[in-house]
Amino acid sequence: MIKFATKRLIHATLLLIAVSFSSFALLQLAPGDFFDEMRRNPQVSMQTVNTLRTEYGLDQPLPVRYERWLRSVLKGHLGFSLASNSPVTPLLRKRACNTLLLSGTATTLAWLLALPIGIWAAVKRGGSADRIWGFATSTILTVPDLVLFLALLLLAVRTGWFPTGGMVSAGTDDFDAWGKAKDISFHLMLPAMGLALATIPVLIRHIRASMIEALESPFLRAARGHGIPRARLAFRYALPAASNPLVSLFGFSVATMLSASALAEVVLSWPGLGPLLVESILSRDVFVVVAIVMLSSLFLVAGNLIADLLLFASDPRIRTE
Amino acid sequence: MAGKTLKMDSETQFGAGGAESLVRIERLTKWYVQRRALTRAEFTVHALDDVSLTIYPGATLALVGESGAGKSTLGRCLALLEKPTSGEIWFEGKDLLKLDRKELFPIRRQIQMIFQDPASALNPGMTAGEIIAEPLAIHREGTNAQRRERARELMEQVGLPASAKDKRPLEFSGGQRQRLAIARALALEPKLIILDEALSSLDLANQELILKLLADLQVAHSLTYLHISHDLRLVSEFADEVAVMHDRRIVEQQPAAELFIRPRSRYTQGLLAAMPSLESICDGRLA
Amino acid sequence: MTKRHKLWGALILLAAFHCLILFAGFFAPYDFKMQNRDLPFAPPAHLHFVDAHGTFHARPFVYGLRSDLTDPSGYATDPSVMHSLRFFVQGSRYKFAGLFEAHLHLFGVEGSGPIFLMGSDGYGRDQFSRFLYGGQISLLAGLLAAALSLALGTVLGALSGFYGGWIDAALMRGGELFLALPWLYLLFAVRAAMPLHVAEWQVFLLLITVIGLIGWARPARLIRGVVLSAKERNFVLAAKGFGASDAYVLYRHVLPQTYGVILTQMTLLIPQYVLAEVTLSFLGLGVGEPMPSWGTLLAALQQYYVLTSYWWMFLPTLVLIPLFLAYYAAADALQERLKSVPL
Repeated sequence: MIKFATKRLIHATLLLIAVSFSSFALLQLAPGDFFDEMRRNPQVSMQTVNTLRTEYGLDQPLPVRYERWLRSVLKGHLGFSLASNSPVTPLLRKRACNTLLLSGTATTLAWLLALPIGIWAAVKRGGSADRIWGFATSTILTVPDLVLFLALLLLAVRTGWFPTGGMVSAGTDDFDAWGKAKDISFHLMLPAMGLALATIPVLIRHIRASMIEALESPFLRAARGHGIPRARLAFRYALPAASNPLVSLFGFSVATMLSASALAEVVLSWPGLGPLLVESILSRDVFVVVAIVMLSSLFLVAGNLIADLLLFASDPRIRTE
Repeated sequence: MAGKTLKMDSETQFGAGGAESLVRIERLTKWYVQRRALTRAEFTVHALDDVSLTIYPGATLALVGESGAGKSTLGRCLALLEKPTSGEIWFEGKDLLKLDRKELFPIRRQIQMIFQDPASALNPGMTAGEIIAEPLAIHREGTNAQRRERARELMEQVGLPASAKDKRPLEFSGGQRQRLAIARALALEPKLIILDEALSSLDLANQELILKLLADLQVAHSLTYLHISHDLRLVSEFADEVAVMHDRRIVEQQPAAELFIRPRSRYTQGLLAAMPSLESICDGRLA
Repeated sequence: MTKRHKLWGALILLAAFHCLILFAGFFAPYDFKMQNRDLPFAPPAHLHFVDAHGTFHARPFVYGLRSDLTDPSGYATDPSVMHSLRFFVQGSRYKFAGLFEAHLHLFGVEGSGPIFLMGSDGYGRDQFSRFLYGGQISLLAGLLAAALSLALGTVLGALSGFYGGWIDAALMRGGELFLALPWLYLLFAVRAAMPLHVAEWQVFLLLITVIGLIGWARPARLIRGVVLSAKERNFVLAAKGFGASDAYVLYRHVLPQTYGVILTQMTLLIPQYVLAEVTLSFLGLGVGEPMPSWGTLLAALQQYYVLTSYWWMFLPTLVLIPLFLAYYAAADALQERLKSVPL
């Protein structure tokens, strides 16, 4: 187990380094930099701009800049945000937590709903319930995420059921911890629901497919021949057999969740990494962009790593090396 | 074992006094490294171990042995579809393994291979005419029209109606597909044809028909056959000479008649003993 | 409905839709830039056959619009002003399929009254026209990006599968890099690397390149798989036995096996890439004003007052859905056909 985990860990680290270097190089090679806007401003002299550039080290060659950046990353400093004039790390920390909160909640919600529905559809395959779910998932699947989020926003604004936008209401500083938590949860509901809704159809489809494969396998048919009741069959026999693809699915769902969350955060005004990324791109705040790209890659790789480890723990076939 | 009598003729080009050999395989060895799927541990696969074989022109040499003995690998090496690790293959005075791609190109015309499963050996998307003409196209022989004409000729030679030239392989039966493969192999007028279990996937009736066709073609075109097979009964019907492979080596090589009556190696004896003969079956019944 | 009907239905729908978009200039009554500053956020027009006096008109007409602040929409129809619908009118200049100039439009109205079939936006621009022109940008971007992605993926995947060895290892590792990022973040990152202030057409090309470049990894893997199994087939071996060169074998025997996969991937990628362009433009990272990508059309919805008061701004989204449905249906049907082909 240790050997397996170590190998995967090394692989993940190498991947992250490659991603960081690529994104860093990509961004630094792009024409124009943070001070482009300033240069267009006739009131600011070229000399000031150049001095500022030197100060921020923007005139150094690429390998030097990467090396300096890498060094500071290892110390825990992710660079300096030129737009907000503050170090990147604290800026990111809050946002990253928000994104994790949203993604985590949405993932949990999605799986809590998709798992029972998927299993049910698999058990009752071919029946009317299955067909209804199939139709529902196909319908939601064809609706693009963007449209889904906009529609939800409209719903919320029209009905006033959910608070829209932001993470906290005004004047919550006076609330106690419990009050604050409740307030945040209220605001979390809309984005989490939207995200969950966007990812549930794919999950249901895959869960159903894996369960059906398990339910139609020979060993399960034999068990049914022994007269084991259907519910027991599904949960104690089929589900463990289907767990292998389901765990892989979990890793995959982490990836799609991250992508979708960026969009959800922007449309539904949740202060996570998504909106920050868009702003940073528009203002060419290079270190922030690289840091966010790295971080999202880290989440993804971590998610897959956890999935791999879970697979290793649950499926004995992988252990026989 | 009705039909053909075994050739007892000692004048069929064997031994030192006979004609020159067509192909001489010397000390062919092949091994390669593979990884086990899950553990990633390496292990070596030995496919051929110091194999030497001589084939004389106009002969039908059968290469027999159980699965895994290395017969197919030998056939593929000879057909220049695989590269052995060491050894030599002498053909028309040249060691084929030392030649580069360009020099090898014209020689490839002389050696052709027919595979076990004709369906997989024919591109399902091409028509019969295109398939037969393909080797001509690769060697840039003749114009399009000439190639089509030649394809038609070849189809008739193997007993297929020329009207079928626009059909796809899947529209033919198994036996017909194998005829198609034979026609394709004949396109470049080769000297040697290697048949890798070419009859194994056919039913008995078709086997007899194809054997007859092959015999006729051999006379008409002065062909030499290397027939790889695991079916000793079948081999006894057509082979001039038999080579036995066991455990990646050639264990015995004899004219067919002698092998079947007086096998020299213990392994061959075991093989022959295991073969059910028609007499013994009938005896068992009638007794 | 049989599978075949499904496929043909989807294809016909797609063809019709694409035709509509291709000849946007003809079908749209107005130019996408044309503003009516005195008619911002006008609701969609109703076509009438019977006028206020009860008279039936064979030719449909719309009532004129005038400002009316007592009405929640800010407008009221003026029954005294009637604009008849005319077909094949001469109107503003446009490029027919981007090739040559023309003036003929499918329909328009007499007089000065505008006809807003889908309402107007904040600048008084006809949303229907902008929707059609926007399709030119978004759909074309999606199509070209998908083509780029597939071309790149096929070449790299085929090389990887056919030659194996270090090429395979290098390409698959490289592909892993692209797959290691959530695609939206990757899209943003690559977009960030490109210059921000460029001319219109350059932005368009830029977007296509960006979207197309990030998506090569998945198709490449699929193609690689097909090539790997195809090159082991006996007919490939036979061709090699005749002395065929690698290029010949690839071209004649291996690549034809990939056509089915390529086609299916195409139908799956196009909607994804159209969506990518729409997303980028929606966030302000794509084409900018006044270019009417579907994304910029939807961007107005980010403001609350637009979202709540002007429902017609939502209409572009409704048309996106059947388009995607048609593509997915086609992809489904193609996959079924692929499975049934004996290999």
